[in-house]
Amino acid sequence: MDLIHPASRADVVDAVRDANGSHRRLLAVGGRRHLDKGNPSKVDAELWTTQLDRVVSYEPAEMIAVVEAGMRVGDLNRILAEGGQEWPSDAPAGATVGGVIASGASSVRRLKVGALRDTVLQVEAVTGDGRLVRSGARTVKNVTGYDLHKAVAGSLGTLAVVVQLALKVRPLPRARRTLAFDGDPSLAAGLAASVPGAASVLARPNAVELHLEGWPEEVAEQGKIAGQIAHPAAEDEGGFPLERPWDESPVVAEVAVPPSQLDALISGERWGALAGVGLAWVGLESANGDLDALRERVRALGGIAPAIRGPGGLGSPPIPAPDVQRRLKEALDPNGVLAPGRGWDGL
Amino acid sequence: MADLDAARRALEDALGPERVLSDPLALRLYARDASMVEGGCAFVVFPESADEIVACVRIAGEHGLPVVPRGSGTGLAGGSTPIGDALVVVTTKMTRVMEIRPEDRLAWVEPGVPNLDLARELAPLGFTFAPDPSSQQTSSIGGNVSTNAGGPHCLAYGVTSNHVLALDVVLSNGEVARLGAEGPEAAGFDLRGLLVGSEGTLGIVAAVCVRLTPLPPAMRTMLFDFASVEGCAGAVSRIIADGVVPAALEMMDQGIVVAAERFAHAGYPTDAAAILIVEVDGTAAAVAAQTEVVEAAAREHGAREVRVAADEAERALIWKGRKSAFGAVATIAPHYHLHDCVVPRTRLVEVLTGVYEIARRHELVVTNVFHAGDGNLHPLLSFDRSVQGTLERVLEASEEIVRLSIDAGGALSGEHGIGLEKRDFMPLVFSAEDLSAQACVRSAFDPDGRMNPMKVLPDGARCGDFAMARGSDAAAAAHDLPEGAWI
Repeated sequence: MDLIHPASRADVVDAVRDANGSHRRLLAVGGRRHLDKGNPSKVDAELWTTQLDRVVSYEPAEMIAVVEAGMRVGDLNRILAEGGQEWPSDAPAGATVGGVIASGASSVRRLKVGALRDTVLQVEAVTGDGRLVRSGARTVKNVTGYDLHKAVAGSLGTLAVVVQLALKVRPLPRARRTLAFDGDPSLAAGLAASVPGAASVLARPNAVELHLEGWPEEVAEQGKIAGQIAHPAAEDEGGFPLERPWDESPVVAEVAVPPSQLDALISGERWGALAGVGLAWVGLESANGDLDALRERVRALGGIAPAIRGPGGLGSPPIPAPDVQRRLKEALDPNGVLAPGRGWDGL
Repeated sequence: MADLDAARRALEDALGPERVLSDPLALRLYARDASMVEGGCAFVVFPESADEIVACVRIAGEHGLPVVPRGSGTGLAGGSTPIGDALVVVTTKMTRVMEIRPEDRLAWVEPGVPNLDLARELAPLGFTFAPDPSSQQTSSIGGNVSTNAGGPHCLAYGVTSNHVLALDVVLSNGEVARLGAEGPEAAGFDLRGLLVGSEGTLGIVAAVCVRLTPLPPAMRTMLFDFASVEGCAGAVSRIIADGVVPAALEMMDQGIVVAAERFAHAGYPTDAAAILIVEVDGTAAAVAAQTEVVEAAAREHGAREVRVAADEAERALIWKGRKSAFGAVATIAPHYHLHDCVVPRTRLVEVLTGVYEIARRHELVVTNVFHAGDGNLHPLLSFDRSVQGTLERVLEASEEIVRLSIDAGGALSGEHGIGLEKRDFMPLVFSAEDLSAQACVRSAFDPDGRMNPMKVLPDGARCGDFAMARGSDAAAAAHDLPEGAWI
């Protein structure tokens, strides 16, 4: 495996154009934290984005940070904290911003902070045929042309190599608290529906964690409301979640279904499910029978269950408008240079 | 040349004659949206189901008619202004809320449902559809999707794209595709994300799966009055810097305050240089904490008076003045041209000063109302089109305002879209390569260019070649441009 380690976006353009000329296939790589997600793809070289790690501009009063794609999440949040803000990805500190976005990773606080793709306001990326292109703008609102950045987010590096992003950031909460409840995970849906503005409600085997954040008085009030529903067994003001039972498994599937279906779908000892969101992480011993069985149940509900750790790929659910998807891939990466076959439906 | 008689017969067979219009009055009525751009069309049809939309799109394909989707026609950029022998597909008869599933925090609705009707239907269940454009009484969910509509509350809650889970879309070849999913993630590239904000150029929205947002248990609406525009803008920056993201943060200058007050009798202080409407929401404790920060920031920047809405009626009155501002300017002059620029929040004062200067030089009346929290300015030029030379001055001033915003690091449009009106400004913000990649998106959806042609992208933007093709095609296309378009 060859390694390309560009020092500038011009280097990225050159590398991708060279690859087109020499018929070499590339995998864009950031912090290696989300590489397992995707279908098997044979490539000739890795293109590392980690030298593209500058802050291009950050003005706290704008609540927008413009950074290069190889910026580590931990570094970004250190810089943002000085402005009293955060990018709520909850990804490992060593992950890169580009990797988090390209892989379509979700925050454990998605109930409150929304989808991370919605924080992407502008992208600069090098398309598979070597065009350095930009879409979006450095403003929170913008309806100017086609939002190529929407297609690039979650595309697993198969359409373009992201080199720079403008991200919508948010104020750091003044207070945080996690309440852990023993018992039936079905409590989770009730908490999500009853505690206004909860940051996250995570069900796991025999327990539920409620994460609160905001103004100190607000967190106290939310805690009181939650206490009327159930009595917490533990309280913590540190990180969230307190436990990640799925984390030690060799294979982890990320299930996405309508939220009300979560309870019926999940069983076993190593999982966590986000109430009100419809995401769950399920730990499995291998990518064989159990994963297939899970995917079959998920598919019946119109959902998906890609593996985000270990083998297992994305699964093979139908993709919407397959002809449109194929034409998009062919138009932006006509020679199939970027991780061919890695995406959904082998795109 | 299309055989229009044959096309009419096919459309009448599919929809019945009463829902296919081609009389001169109808064609004239549907020749424009709420912008200044006027075009023309061959037919106006009113489908009542996804299947009927499919039939219309197929017939248009067979007879070589361009298809122009249209909701309530409140668009301000000419996005649904038809051109040539267009078939205008109006979705206003598709007004069913098909399914509300609070347990999944979603609802399926037809595209013609007016925004406010949906909000009213959801409210008793404790939810809302967060995007609330000022046109919300009239504008349809389908139109909101097409323009990725915003509104005063998108500062805290996000724009339409953040609130659309899935879409059933009729593609240009008549196929129906479900883009996105009822769950939080979907397989494939995010075509849903591409379609939202695509101004009817990628397909016709036949059904929308919207995300439901829980209504906050408490809210407080405050109105501050400032002796200077600078003080008002300073308060806005201070509020954000202090860590409050209000549910809404709206600024109005004196000109628009006076007009709105005359119209809505909201009790606005007409002697203020600018007013600021701030709404905070959340739990009662969150509202109290935010109120304290907001009031301190406003006073520090010279707020003369604070009015807090005592009840829902007073809150509604404060918002009535804001949301009817565009109607209120009819009291200034018979015509207006409304802009939609976005600039970095920290450069509001500078851009606003520039806008006043441009209006002064062109001897035009300008009033300003804007979503200050997200830097979205809506300068409004009032004029009388019948006075010779006025329209030309308006267009010149408009172009200067656009360039001013772009120079300040802004975008061409915050929530109205590009349509016909601003497509020739696209090269101000995008390179030829950027535009070629965008053309790739469009041709992936619509390889034959049937859907709402000539909108959004400027002439010559082509997928494929690195350089934009210029020449005969562009010249021929420019020939067809309707009156009022900026070329």
